[in-house]
Amino acid sequence: MKQFGKILKFELSGYLKNKVFVGITAFLVVAIAIAMFIPNIMEMFKSDDAATDVDKLPIMLVYAENDELSSLVKQYFDNAFSDYNVKIADCTLNDVKDQITSGNAECAFAINSAFSYTYYVNNLSMHDSNTTIADTVLQEVYRVTAMVENGMSHEQAEEIMSVQIESETTTLGKDQMQNFFYTYIMIFALYMVILLYGQMVATNVATEKSSRAMEVLITSAKPTSMMFGKVLASCIAGLVQLIAVFGTALVFYNLNKNAWGGNMIIESIFNIPVELFVYMLVFFVLGFLIYAFLYGAIGSTASKLEDINTSVMPITFLFIIAFLVVMFSMANGNVDNTLMMVCSYIPFTSPMAMFTRICMSTVAWYEIVISIAVLIASTVGIGFIAAKIYRVGVLLYGTTPKIGSILKAVWKA
Amino acid sequence: MRLELKNIDKSFGEKEVLRGVSFSAESGKAFGLLGRNGAGKTTTIRILMDVFPANSGEVLINGKPIDYDKIGFGYLPEERGLYPKKLIVDQLVYFAELKGMSHKSAVKSVDSWLERLGMSEHRNKRLDTLSKGNQQKIQLVTALAHDPQIIILDEPFSGLDPVNAMLLKDVVKEQIVQGKIVLFSSHQMSYIEEFCDSIAIINAGKVALYGDLHDIKRNYVRDRLVVSTVKPQKIQDDFSSTCTVTDNGALMIQLESPAEKQTVMKRLVDNYDIDEIKVFEPSLNDIFVEYAGEQV
Repeated sequence: MKQFGKILKFELSGYLKNKVFVGITAFLVVAIAIAMFIPNIMEMFKSDDAATDVDKLPIMLVYAENDELSSLVKQYFDNAFSDYNVKIADCTLNDVKDQITSGNAECAFAINSAFSYTYYVNNLSMHDSNTTIADTVLQEVYRVTAMVENGMSHEQAEEIMSVQIESETTTLGKDQMQNFFYTYIMIFALYMVILLYGQMVATNVATEKSSRAMEVLITSAKPTSMMFGKVLASCIAGLVQLIAVFGTALVFYNLNKNAWGGNMIIESIFNIPVELFVYMLVFFVLGFLIYAFLYGAIGSTASKLEDINTSVMPITFLFIIAFLVVMFSMANGNVDNTLMMVCSYIPFTSPMAMFTRICMSTVAWYEIVISIAVLIASTVGIGFIAAKIYRVGVLLYGTTPKIGSILKAVWKA
Repeated sequence: MRLELKNIDKSFGEKEVLRGVSFSAESGKAFGLLGRNGAGKTTTIRILMDVFPANSGEVLINGKPIDYDKIGFGYLPEERGLYPKKLIVDQLVYFAELKGMSHKSAVKSVDSWLERLGMSEHRNKRLDTLSKGNQQKIQLVTALAHDPQIIILDEPFSGLDPVNAMLLKDVVKEQIVQGKIVLFSSHQMSYIEEFCDSIAIINAGKVALYGDLHDIKRNYVRDRLVVSTVKPQKIQDDFSSTCTVTDNGALMIQLESPAEKQTVMKRLVDNYDIDEIKVFEPSLNDIFVEYAGEQV
């Protein structure tokens, strides 16, 4: 236990004295602090050109053979496309096309009849929803016109068209919308941190092995102390880094709170309920540890630093698959599918899968208890197995041994 | 204190690495563990230090199973290496602490060892800024700083210049005088002959020869004479069938039996111009080649 403390301290100081680690953390902290000032900065630039001129907006042309139709459509388009300067084209259709290709106008609607039009645009953007808006607007135009023709007054027709439905939603379970963001951030943070730090743990072990510092280490300290010391040190370093980044974000967000104007996404992140925050910590730490142990064990079997990347591949794949399952389920909004149910009990996937389900669905307390219990037991178990692999692995030089022969040696040791 | 290894067997998978290795070493004396590359020396050392357990056999201290919490080991591995990118003092203190020292006494001990080895000026440098020989001196500190009872030195003299080798010799002698058990493993036989009272030669996982070095040499059949003379030709002619010339120019005369020694010596002294006559004793090198050279 005393050894473990010394190893933890030494490894941790290794991280905190590492210039790259300190540099990256400092960079992230500064970047996030600046990011939190963005609304203020944008505000400063905005005040100059507050009076947005209609003339500065991109031009949208409306072309129709029938003048009456074109002016009617323009009237409606003015309202619907507030970010365009809508103009009637008094020229031929070919001129309209020329204006678009030359860049004088951004797009044009050639209205053929009340039910049909052609949309002209130079480069069709992926996010171009102008035709969808136009469809709705033209339908409205048609309906209002039809109602007026059938004897209704224009106002009556407008009123029918613009009737408002009042509604209210009461969430009895979880509000997926609100919980989506911090679930997403936690999953992503876990993903990044595990991949980065896992690689660091593996490299750390392999470096000791290749520099032969291991020869002295292995005769000075118990492999279990070495393994747990190293992995916990990297976990603490990772948490310190995250706390630094999110802490800075929180402080600077509060400084600029007014400028953000109660941004829903950020508010929802910082207003994470205490209960979920605790779950987040538990799953984060356990998820981190279980993978870091695996990475440490793998690192001990590589004889050269160059071998690390290929050796850790299977673990990285396992982890990416877990990540993708969770991400797809989150995107679907169906976090309680069978795959997620299974994944939330498997120790390698449960940190992400169970946390996501807790956040975005209703999970019975015993399910959470079972999942965490399985996870804790396997983390400790994997830790001890990793320490055994470590003891066998660090003394094997030469070609990277096969998994089978390592497990055999571990079993016998 | 008496360290004893009894019938140690060890195999890795199908491969038997050690077969019934037994020897013992006394405190206040140096013990030489010899063997060719791959004979099983490092495995023996690792079992002794509890890096991994033996399949069977025991490690005893004064006849009782060793308690690794109480007995301190100092180890200078043949494969040298520490943390190249870390400060020397930081890592030396870390290793001493791992061996159970408090931070304060670790710092004190490390500083006094650096002073003793003339490395104080490098205290706050990174290890990889030092030359190979100096790195080796730093590594020696990891083996000695925590004042272990048993010191294991694997090829301690390789890579050292004569001045540093002398310094290391003094340090080792000091440790022996202080009553430590010093285990030497080396292929430089001259150092083993200089330090070690007892040796064990391991060959293909078995102890091929074990005992007091002096006795081992004495036990060789004393049936050869080494003769130094300025006029070898005459002796060669007279003893033609039994006389050979050794590498350093002396003559070696093979006797029919050890009992003949006295007569032949007298005959030589009486009839020829002789500088020196002595009974031939094999060097450790000869013994090593004889016992470790075969059965591989």
